[in-house]
Amino acid sequence: MKRVLSGVLVAAFMLVSVVMFSQTAQADEGKIVGTISKLVISADKKSATVVLKDIKSGEDLTVLITDDLTLDKFNDKRIVEGDEIRCKYEKDGGKNSSKMFKKTAGC
Amino acid sequence: MIKKIVFFTFAVSFAGVCYGQAAEHPGKEYILKNGYQGPKTCEVCHPGKAKEFIGTVHWTHASKVDNVDNVKPNEVYGMKNRNYTMCNGNDIVNNLKEVPANDKGKTKFSGCNSCHPGDHASDVGSTGPAAEAAIDCLLCHSVKYDFSKRKPMKRNDGVVIIGQDRSVEAAANLGRPSNKTCMTCHEAAGGGVYVKRGFEMTAAADAHAAKKMVCIDCHVVKNHRIPTGFDPNNWAHDGLRLSCVGSCHTEKPHKDAQIDNHSSKIACQTCHIPKTGGATAKDFTVWTKLDNGFYEPSTLKKEVNETTPIYAWYNQTVANRPDFIGPKGSRIDGKSKIYPFKVFQGKAYYNKKTGELLSMDFAPPSSTGDTLAGVASAAKILGIKEYEPVPGWQTIYFSSNHQVAPKKRALSCANCHAPNGILNFKELGYSNEEIKNLTNPELYFQRLLKKQIEEE
Ligand code: HEC
Ligand code: HEC
Ligand code: HEC
Ligand code: HEC
Ligand code: HEC
Ligand code: HEC
Repeated sequence: MKRVLSGVLVAAFMLVSVVMFSQTAQADEGKIVGTISKLVISADKKSATVVLKDIKSGEDLTVLITDDLTLDKFNDKRIVEGDEIRCKYEKDGGKNSSKMFKKTAGC
Repeated sequence: MIKKIVFFTFAVSFAGVCYGQAAEHPGKEYILKNGYQGPKTCEVCHPGKAKEFIGTVHWTHASKVDNVDNVKPNEVYGMKNRNYTMCNGNDIVNNLKEVPANDKGKTKFSGCNSCHPGDHASDVGSTGPAAEAAIDCLLCHSVKYDFSKRKPMKRNDGVVIIGQDRSVEAAANLGRPSNKTCMTCHEAAGGGVYVKRGFEMTAAADAHAAKKMVCIDCHVVKNHRIPTGFDPNNWAHDGLRLSCVGSCHTEKPHKDAQIDNHSSKIACQTCHIPKTGGATAKDFTVWTKLDNGFYEPSTLKKEVNETTPIYAWYNQTVANRPDFIGPKGSRIDGKSKIYPFKVFQGKAYYNKKTGELLSMDFAPPSSTGDTLAGVASAAKILGIKEYEPVPGWQTIYFSSNHQVAPKKRALSCANCHAPNGILNFKELGYSNEEIKNLTNPELYFQRLLKKQIEEE
């Protein structure tokens, strides 16, 4: 019985992973190095919208940030307008959701 | 009775921790009334703190060093004056300045001593009343610090200074230093976020962060001296050391004697920090041009949790040669344990005449990519007249001391004792006969089988 169950579970798991895998494969991923030209923190402070000006092309890209670590850096102005950022994002439903958002500078 | 006392002490120390976080700082009203004039305001109630602070490594970036080969016992070493291929420069040769304009006409401020809680006019290791008045106490103590004010700029007389937030708002809102306090400088060391040591203090990556612990819960600060360990590349210290074993854990922390039995030969970190991240190699002789027109040292990077350590015996003394900085130790010296290290390799210029590693001022190559001009500038600053630069590689071992994995990711028996295990027993000094024994499934078979059945 246990065997059968685990077999079913494995199959279910495989199905889920196939679905998940194809989803990530479908989702459009992008990366950009750009300077922040606009930074707006939402009223509930749970997200922020940032416009990045692509260093290379000069084009604007709007990115949505929801991770706490980065939001906190906006909050105490560790990251401000004018800073150069290396960002990876995922396109989902018309939005670009940030997956990585780091200043390029270091010491 | 004993139990009660223990509980009482625990309760008191716990209350102490809470006090730091939640309670209002008793000086708040005074500051709101009298404003904030820098350290001297704090000194009204905390006399001697400024003088105390400028005696620590966080101000001097150097100390005497006694566990490293080829250093002079009466001189001080640290980020102030050291040269190795993670940075290839230091506070002296790569002093904070405005770099020359690049081909897009842009300049920027850059230099090692931007990671210093002074104002740069009072720089690394400065002393006296001006230095004491320049300390940025609020950088570490305020919870309302406006970091957009902490940036390099030129004063009217042309001197480059680092701004500070000295507002009453910041001074009136003090709190216990947090992870991000320390990460202000430690996060982007080595040329970018998580480049140098490649560890992240998030709940997913670190078992202690998951328990909401912060840097100073382990690095217990005494009079502004922050304890450190024995990373082969952290030479400067304030005379206080910490390790996993001591006030936090014992040598035998497991319910399982078989794991505990390893403690005399294997450091806790070896099983508990299976991965780190950050830079694995850099080339300082040929820089990469970025889209913004500036150049940076060419760097191979990994995300946190992407680099696999190398394992070596370490007795907490350090080999220091032009081609290698790393652990010394052996299986038989009676003092060593097997520790995990991140291996890093860096290419830079050596002086053919002496074999020594040459350092670099980053200002010239930042804007033009001309790395030899950077070497020439550094040589001039140091008064080195005779040199012939030739490229060469240096290998460096960094201790893996953070990012303790959640316990289910700790290394288990077969990770080491299977024939394809992570340890190179031969290189670690075990004989063929011993290796045969150490890779015999007999050591772990029954126990892993039992575990497997439990989990099935
Ligand atoms: C009017 C007096 C007064 C002033 C001014 C003052 N403090 Fe305090 N501070 C206190 C008292 C009283 C305590 C609680 C007793 C103690 O721990 O020394 C305290 C506690 C602290 C603590 C926490 C000690 C602990 O372990 O919980 C820190 C940190 C601190 N002060 C930093 C500062 C800094 C930084 C300044 C300047 C911005 C400052 N204080 C200005 C009176 C003052
Ligand atoms: C203003 C920048 C800055 C801040 C803030 C900072 N550090 Fe450091 N820290 C440094 C630099 C630079 C060094 C390297 C000194 C050297 O090796 O010469 C260092 C070295 C250290 C060391 C090893 C040497 C020693 O002093 O023992 C430890 C441990 C350490 N820091 C922990 C911390 C902790 C914990 C915090 C937060 C309370 C913190 N640091 C905040 C810049 C900073
Ligand atoms: C590099 C960060 C840093 C800077 C800069 C700094 N401190 Fe601290 N300070 C700490 C840390 C960390 C502690 C320990 C806090 C704890 O354990 O809760 C501490 C503790 C204290 C305490 C309470 C404990 C004690 O030793 O009495 C006082 C008061 C204090 N600092 C005042 C100051 C003043 C005044 C300045 C500026 C002259 C200053 N600090 C600058 C990091 C810093
Ligand atoms: C769970 C406890 C713990 C926490 C939390 C912790 N450290 Fe450490 N840290 C250590 C230990 C232990 C060592 C030294 C170990 C040794 O060398 O054996 C160390 C060493 C260091 C060193 C010396 C270089 C190195 O990596 O060995 C620095 C710098 C440092 N810690 C900074 C930090 C900062 C910054 C934070 C917070 C972001 C932090 N630590 C959080 C335990 C901790
Ligand atoms: C040979 C590998 C190994 C070494 C060395 C080792 N550990 Fe562990 N440790 C483990 C494993 C595996 C677990 C998970 C055990 C489990 O889940 O039952 C663990 C679990 C733990 C736990 C959690 C215990 C619990 O019951 O939740 C702590 C705390 C711990 N280790 C601390 C340490 C310290 C401190 C050292 C150094 C003195 C150390 N370990 C050395 C492998 C090791
Ligand atoms: C990090 C690698 C590592 C892990 C994980 C590890 N071991 Fe070991 N183990 C060693 C090394 C290295 C030695 C040899 C130590 C010495 O020199 O005495 C050893 C020694 C032993 C010995 C003594 C062998 C002998 O004949 O002297 C036993 C038994 C053993 N391990 C069992 C286990 C079991 C059971 C586990 C899982 C709970 C485990 N080990 C996990 C590295 C590891």
